[in-house]
Amino acid sequence: MFAGSKIARGTLLAVVAVFGLVFLAGAQEGAIKLGAVLPLGDITGAQAAKAMELAVDEINAAGGVLGRELEVIVIDSEFDAAKGAAAIDRLATVDEVDIFIGGMSSGVHLGQIPTLKKYEKVTVWIGAASSLVEEAVQGLDWYFHIHPWDYLQGQSYVDGWAAIEEEYPLITIDKAFWAYEDGAFGTGSYQGSLIAHEDWENIGDSFTSAALGGGDYRSILRLAQEEDPDIFIWVGYGSDALPIMEQAIEIGFTPPLFVGSPPGWPADFGESPLAEGVIAYGMWAPSISNVSAVSQAFWDGYIAMYDEEPATYFAPLGYTNVYVVVEAIERAGTLEKEALIDALEATEYESPVGETLTFTASNLIDHQGFQGQKILQWQDGEQQVIWPFEFATALPRYPFTGR
Amino acid sequence: MTLLGRLGHRKVQLALGALAAVVLLLLWKPYALIEGVQRGGLYALIALPMALILGIVGIINLAHGEFMMLGAYFAYILFRSAGMDPLVAILPALGAFAILGALTYILTIRRALKAPELNQLLLTFGLAMMASQFANLLWTSQPYKPSLMYVYSSMRVGGLTFGSYAFVYVAAALALLVGLLLFLRRTRLGKAALAVGQNPRGAKLVGIDVNRTYLLIFTLAIALIGAIGAMFLTRHSVFPSVGSSYTMKSFCLIAMAGIGNLVGIVWGGLALGVAEALVSSFRGYGGWADVVFFAVLVAVIMGRSYWMRRLTA
Repeated sequence: MFAGSKIARGTLLAVVAVFGLVFLAGAQEGAIKLGAVLPLGDITGAQAAKAMELAVDEINAAGGVLGRELEVIVIDSEFDAAKGAAAIDRLATVDEVDIFIGGMSSGVHLGQIPTLKKYEKVTVWIGAASSLVEEAVQGLDWYFHIHPWDYLQGQSYVDGWAAIEEEYPLITIDKAFWAYEDGAFGTGSYQGSLIAHEDWENIGDSFTSAALGGGDYRSILRLAQEEDPDIFIWVGYGSDALPIMEQAIEIGFTPPLFVGSPPGWPADFGESPLAEGVIAYGMWAPSISNVSAVSQAFWDGYIAMYDEEPATYFAPLGYTNVYVVVEAIERAGTLEKEALIDALEATEYESPVGETLTFTASNLIDHQGFQGQKILQWQDGEQQVIWPFEFATALPRYPFTGR
Repeated sequence: MTLLGRLGHRKVQLALGALAAVVLLLLWKPYALIEGVQRGGLYALIALPMALILGIVGIINLAHGEFMMLGAYFAYILFRSAGMDPLVAILPALGAFAILGALTYILTIRRALKAPELNQLLLTFGLAMMASQFANLLWTSQPYKPSLMYVYSSMRVGGLTFGSYAFVYVAAALALLVGLLLFLRRTRLGKAALAVGQNPRGAKLVGIDVNRTYLLIFTLAIALIGAIGAMFLTRHSVFPSVGSSYTMKSFCLIAMAGIGNLVGIVWGGLALGVAEALVSSFRGYGGWADVVFFAVLVAVIMGRSYWMRRLTA
């Protein structure tokens, strides 16, 4: 009987050991988790999340990362700083993600940064253009920023217009009129632009955006009309895009260059005949698929998966976000933080946005990705790239006629 | 009464003052006058249905702008799916929002009529939040607007070039005002509604079905604001939060004109629209338009309080 008890105990111990090993192995080989915070109620966040899922599906179909499945967990920030910070807490403590990704609004991100500092996980962020954010993340070696900062964007527009004027002598810009929405976004953009475009004679005035209860732009359009500028630039939101065009035509205001600079354009803007010739600033246009195989592959994949076209540059940015992180994990061969940081620093990723993404120093941080935006123009209902010339998909149409 | 006697009459003085202001603006800032009247027409048009509910049913509908927002989405969906012009969509919007208004009243408003006013405010505020969140879930915060050529039509008078379409808001506000006044003063139901608005208990005593009157007025008001949403869409983008600022402006107009003063709402709307446009016409003061709106409101309310005190004294 004693011998039988020993055998039974031994068998039991062996079974427990086997189960324990299996459990441990399973725990070590679980999915690699990326935690993303995005404004899902906005097209930027919604499409970035979809693009991330597309990237995850592609990566898992190709065998995953380091032999493990990849998973992205997305929480809605609802454009609320407190909710965005709470999302970081949840992703870190409940979902136990390995890396933070995502992002869109600077205001929300400023609220998240103290929480990110609590966990010090590797963070690769596609949102937040405000240089206030750059100040807040200064010195954080685990923080990587993909979206160009506001001053980088401004500098890219200066470089772009200078290049366009040189390439196309018919286009000359001496005087600019800036119509900016009277909130922090518009006012900040205008102030930054004054510094960047010091070679122009700049005149500016504010208006109340439709997003904040406005919607009648005729007063400021008439002020601009009186100044007869070479370029008219409005800085507002997508809800201003078509009404401001309509009201400009209504009063007969057609400056040679009509530029819109909202964070996003309405989905149906291109359908309007008034869109013809309107200049836009952005990081990407669908037409880049014509000059970039990576962009074409992303475009085809997104449409195949969702039966809709990506309409905002946050879609290819979301896709870029996942691939940059995954390629770094593959290079590092581990999720260990220091190795991952080294691997991210070695990033050279050909993005569907067009450029090859690398991380270099900006004014205050060591890990800045994209350095600027592109100058686009609506032509025949589509956004075309007119600068940088290496991604150009069309020649500029000049002057703007409003028809 | 002699001419001098007539000139001493307050209303005549106000009318002459308004005429002088119009002539001055026409000579000095003609575009501020024209575009301000168009802007004010929109404010008055949106405010009138809210005044109907406040004056008769006695509650402040904080979801007023959200019903307009839903009306705009309704018209946009018809534009996209059936190619229906938003101005044509006014008719189906009237029907659809009459049903929505009736359901809203039966399921929520009716049950809060005897509640404290704060509870009523919270109820309509809750409806507003539900509506905007519902819209956000369905359509996200992406703005939508149909491209319509006629909205940027313009006309030339003398040396002035200005938009002509936006006068439709002024015409609609005047038409709605006349329609409501005729309804309230010349129809049996309208007179009953006025009676209920003035004294619900007394109205009940004389045999008026108060609850049915509330239901009909609320339904009518929501039907109207839903249809106005379709008109709104012709010149404005629609997105979930577009209505909230118009709720505030409508309430301010009603406060300025006085509850039940539909004519005052139209005059007030026009005056505020012109004041906003005038301020915006000066370089550097574009952001002051909202300040002017509420400053005029405060000034009128204080002025009326002072005048009432003098009269009673």
